Amino acid sequence: MSEYLISAKQMAQFVASGYLRIDDMVPKDLCEACLVEMRDHHFGYLAVGSSFEETWPKGTALGDAFRLPQVRGLIHSLVGPDPLYDHHAAHLVQAGNTRGPDMHQDSVIDFRENYFDIQLSFFPVDTPDEMGGTFLVPGTQFRSVRTGEIHIYQHMRGKIWATCPAGTMYVWNTGVWHGSRSNHTDQDRYMYKLRLNPTRPQVRNFDTADLDDPEIGKILNTNHGWEGNEHRYELMRRVQMWRFVSGQPDYDQGERFMRRIEYQPTEEVAG
Amino acid sequence: MPAVQDILVLFQTTPALTAPPVAWARYEASKGPIRDLVEEGEPPYDNALAAMRDGWEVIQMSELKHRSADEGYDLGPLPYQTVLSKFNELQDEEDAS
Repeated sequence: MSEYLISAKQMAQFVASGYLRIDDMVPKDLCEACLVEMRDHHFGYLAVGSSFEETWPKGTALGDAFRLPQVRGLIHSLVGPDPLYDHHAAHLVQAGNTRGPDMHQDSVIDFRENYFDIQLSFFPVDTPDEMGGTFLVPGTQFRSVRTGEIHIYQHMRGKIWATCPAGTMYVWNTGVWHGSRSNHTDQDRYMYKLRLNPTRPQVRNFDTADLDDPEIGKILNTNHGWEGNEHRYELMRRVQMWRFVSGQPDYDQGERFMRRIEYQPTEEVAG
Repeated sequence: MPAVQDILVLFQTTPALTAPPVAWARYEASKGPIRDLVEEGEPPYDNALAAMRDGWEVIQMSELKHRSADEGYDLGPLPYQTVLSKFNELQDEEDAS
């Protein structure tokens, strides 16, 4: 599985932007079999908080898709070994179905530090722009809000949406602001979502070979277009998360804004 | 047809009326609810002042926030917003786009 772990630079992108897009994750024939299962027999709600490996159905296309070695590598990189099943849903936007404002954060408000759940969004069919793939606002994962109260943000700088070939997966921090879009085609639009929890601290589960790459600092500093005057405060949260996942408790960069919290002389200097 | 109130909300990261919007929303009674949101990459105006020069009236602007040691680094919703109003002729919903 180690060959499928994400790099440190990809991990930094996940910390800064809250998501990764990975193409060609699921082969076309398996995508088609998954689509049949999604259409014909959803396998219901499973035991929340149970072992993913023991709970996730076996001998089904969707069971196989989320056990592909490249998917296992992605999951391991972000939540480590032995994750827990939390939630899944087959999302359908029927042909010609339109959507109004839908920005929301999933589940309920979550303030846990040094922790994140992941959601895998699997697109089993080609999803062009007009089909209305899920939208995300990269970098919003640290902004805790109560689910749908952010419907009021109808438009936001930096917003992106899934426009991708069949077999693509997006993996994202559960906190990322997102929503569904109108489907202007004559084909139904499907997306399969799976949420997983870690069972141990999410430290250095990814490939750390490029941990010292200077590009990581720039990645963590990404400006997605909406941060404005808030960017420094966003950067501090990203630095805190990077310290945790990379096992570098003293990491900081640039003006080292974390010193405004952490630097405090404690000993008198003899005069 | 009577003139009814349209609302434009600009969301900003500083409260000034010259601050660039980072998010925005329309509640246009003249057209009815949005049932098919069309993506917009850029806000309708560079800032609230530009909207005012186009006839929009400011009906709310944000106060500065007090920052405490406990909450000064908290993140959450976008911190500031300007609410603008303009009256436009009522349209049949099916005619509104």
